[in-house]
Amino acid sequence: MVRRVGQSLVVLAGVSVVVFGLVHLVPGDPVRLALGTRFSQESYDALRERSGLDQPLIEQFFGWLGRALQGDLGVSFRSGETVTSQIAERLPATLTLAFASILVALLIAIPLGTISALRPRSLVDRVATVISQFGISVPDFWMGIVLILVFAGTLGWLPSGGYVPLTEDPGAWLQRLLMPALVTGVVSGSVITRFVRSSMLEALGSDHVRTAQAKGLPTRQVFTWHVLRNALLPLVTVTGVQLAYLLSGVVVVEIVFSWPGLGQLALQAVQARDYPVLQGAILLFAVVFLVINLIVDLLYTAIDPRIRR
Amino acid sequence: MRTTRLLSLSAAGALALTACSGGGESVDTGDGGGGAGGGGGDVLAVAVGAQPDQFDPHVTSAYPSFQVLENVYDTLVVPNPDDLTMEPSLATDWETSEDGLTWTFTLRENVTFHDGSEFDAADVVYSYNRIMDEQLQNAYRFENVESVEAVDPQTVEITVSQPTPNLPALLGGFKGTAIIPEGAAEEYDLTTEAVGTGPFTLESSSASSTELAAYEDYWGGAPSVGGVEFRYIAEPAAALTALENGEVQWTDNVPPQQIESLQGDQDVELQSIPSVDYWYMSMNFDREPFGNPLVRQAIATAVDREAVTEAARFGAAQANQTAIPEGNFFASDYAPFDADTEAARQLLQEAGVQTPITMGLMVTDEFPETVTAAQVIAAQLEPIGIDVDVQTVDFATWLDRQAQGDFDTFMLGWLGNLDPFDYYHSQHITDGVNNYQGYSNAEVDRLLLAASSETDPDTRRDLYHDAIEMIVDDVSYLYLYNPNVVQAWAPGLTGYTIRPDRAINFEDVELP
Repeated sequence: MVRRVGQSLVVLAGVSVVVFGLVHLVPGDPVRLALGTRFSQESYDALRERSGLDQPLIEQFFGWLGRALQGDLGVSFRSGETVTSQIAERLPATLTLAFASILVALLIAIPLGTISALRPRSLVDRVATVISQFGISVPDFWMGIVLILVFAGTLGWLPSGGYVPLTEDPGAWLQRLLMPALVTGVVSGSVITRFVRSSMLEALGSDHVRTAQAKGLPTRQVFTWHVLRNALLPLVTVTGVQLAYLLSGVVVVEIVFSWPGLGQLALQAVQARDYPVLQGAILLFAVVFLVINLIVDLLYTAIDPRIRR
Repeated sequence: MRTTRLLSLSAAGALALTACSGGGESVDTGDGGGGAGGGGGDVLAVAVGAQPDQFDPHVTSAYPSFQVLENVYDTLVVPNPDDLTMEPSLATDWETSEDGLTWTFTLRENVTFHDGSEFDAADVVYSYNRIMDEQLQNAYRFENVESVEAVDPQTVEITVSQPTPNLPALLGGFKGTAIIPEGAAEEYDLTTEAVGTGPFTLESSSASSTELAAYEDYWGGAPSVGGVEFRYIAEPAAALTALENGEVQWTDNVPPQQIESLQGDQDVELQSIPSVDYWYMSMNFDREPFGNPLVRQAIATAVDREAVTEAARFGAAQANQTAIPEGNFFASDYAPFDADTEAARQLLQEAGVQTPITMGLMVTDEFPETVTAAQVIAAQLEPIGIDVDVQTVDFATWLDRQAQGDFDTFMLGWLGNLDPFDYYHSQHITDGVNNYQGYSNAEVDRLLLAASSETDPDTRRDLYHDAIEMIVDDVSYLYLYNPNVVQAWAPGLTGYTIRPDRAINFEDVELP
């Protein structure tokens, strides 16, 4: 465990260098962008100095790193607010959408994948394959706009977008959550369905399942103890990956549904070359991936004792 | 997958804590139309395309910020909604000295800021000096200004280094030169707070909406609605849906391809009027063969502006060859180029250019209409032997490359122009700050300089017209079109005026 912590700190240090370097390598001058098209050279120099961009890159980096270690990610060029408060403002919306999407995805993937695996090449299996293929290949913005036009426009059942915290109005919260969660859930669910089907098939065909069946164990028992347990391992991994992806912001869906999450924030930061916000957001995404990987590993150990060391 | 098991449980805990602390700060969209409100009426909900970056009028350059600030701050003078001539706002009248070097503004009495403090000349002096001393966003507007002084609490005197007939347009063109209370920058955090004299006060702002409340003590009388809620809806189809199903009552985020069909729609009131903006293409004079005027004229002749306009704006624009839209006092009807492929081919031959040549055309996805227009232009130039390489980059890269002169040709627009000076001066005068194409014509320089300080309107217009014809003939810019301002609102909403300068003002709006 201690070694893992050490490893992760090394990786995180590497990530911070890469994050800082990459962000500053992107062409485009934030000062020029902030000033728009009409400005004087004096205004340009003044703003450059105020934002600290006149300092050598190496000094900027160590300044940023030093403050980041103390939990200070700097101040947005664009809004003048602290990066931490901007991220904190958007985290609830992102967490809400990510977990709702994973729920939708699993509700789709587990039954669909299981049924397909139990009856391979049957009609059910083929329909499920077509559905998941559809979910993977349809652009999410298209699906989003179609849902808006149907459910908000034609039927008028749901609002066209936006976000209301659960604590404020649970009804409005759920109404606004439904469509974006469905879109991201269908996309993630389609990916996961494939994994459920193939790992389930593999488990069904494995030697110990055949042995168990030969011993005359009841089908239900064979399924829960031998098939499901083995099939669960890859499911945990792929769900973890999907969750990390969702937590890093689903930019397109957030834009279509006016969902004020981290994806939207990161996109705005890229467009404005808002270095502090961009660095903060990417660093957070890196941490999210690392943490989820760790959780996935822990779950692995819990499910499969062979991995325990 | 298992090679990257990293980070301790304590870090996971820290992340969860951050998440929880974030949960306390609510992100409010309000529900339906209700919510914040100072005065008697209901709240007007509007859908805008993007979130304001911040609220300091002297610092921001973002249009989404000005959409809000227009309703919160005032300037000394303000463009009239119809012909955009300057009319009184915080200044009731103004006069120029004989030599044109001293402007005296008489200020309105009984005006209070949103924090209750009294407005007077000291606030004007403070606001303008802040912009000039700190070299903020709009410092360039004060280039000719030598000093701003308070003669008495109701009088401000501005001294300029040379006659500046467009000073009122510079001071009142938009809220970037708003008047803030003396000392406000030290007393308030102007990036998130606002202390104006306008009809609405800034109540709150979040990642999904900004809320304004009616200011009961507004000098022009309290607004009829209780407040305005700006919701950010980036996707035009979603914004239109929100308007159609009554979630919002106004939007300027209308899908361009639907403008025509919406004009007959009973559920939406749509208006489309010509704006003061123009879109153009510019060629790099330092790159051969574009330094050759015949080549530029060949390209100007090959481009069919009507077709470009139709494709880029679905007709919601007027093709133009001279920048200033028809109907403006300074507009010129000079239009020497007829779309003619054969004539263009001949000009290119006269120039001695060996075709085919390749021409880079740099556009930015920040303005998708330029990408469409570029594709149409590429198709139009192909028959005369010019192979257009459309380079779509993001805006930050675009600005960088423009500044470095790293382009064959580019396309963009100038928005929010009021005076002919805005339309022509810095773009075409030798070494002008916005003369990225590298145009230089001594006669044009002389005319533009004379026009910039000419106080007689008719003489000034003639000077500009002479300059314009040379600029057009030399193809310093290849002008394309003036786009329309397109906005839509709920039927029955009254008291709102759509304006050519895209300023949106909800002071007199009454809900259906």
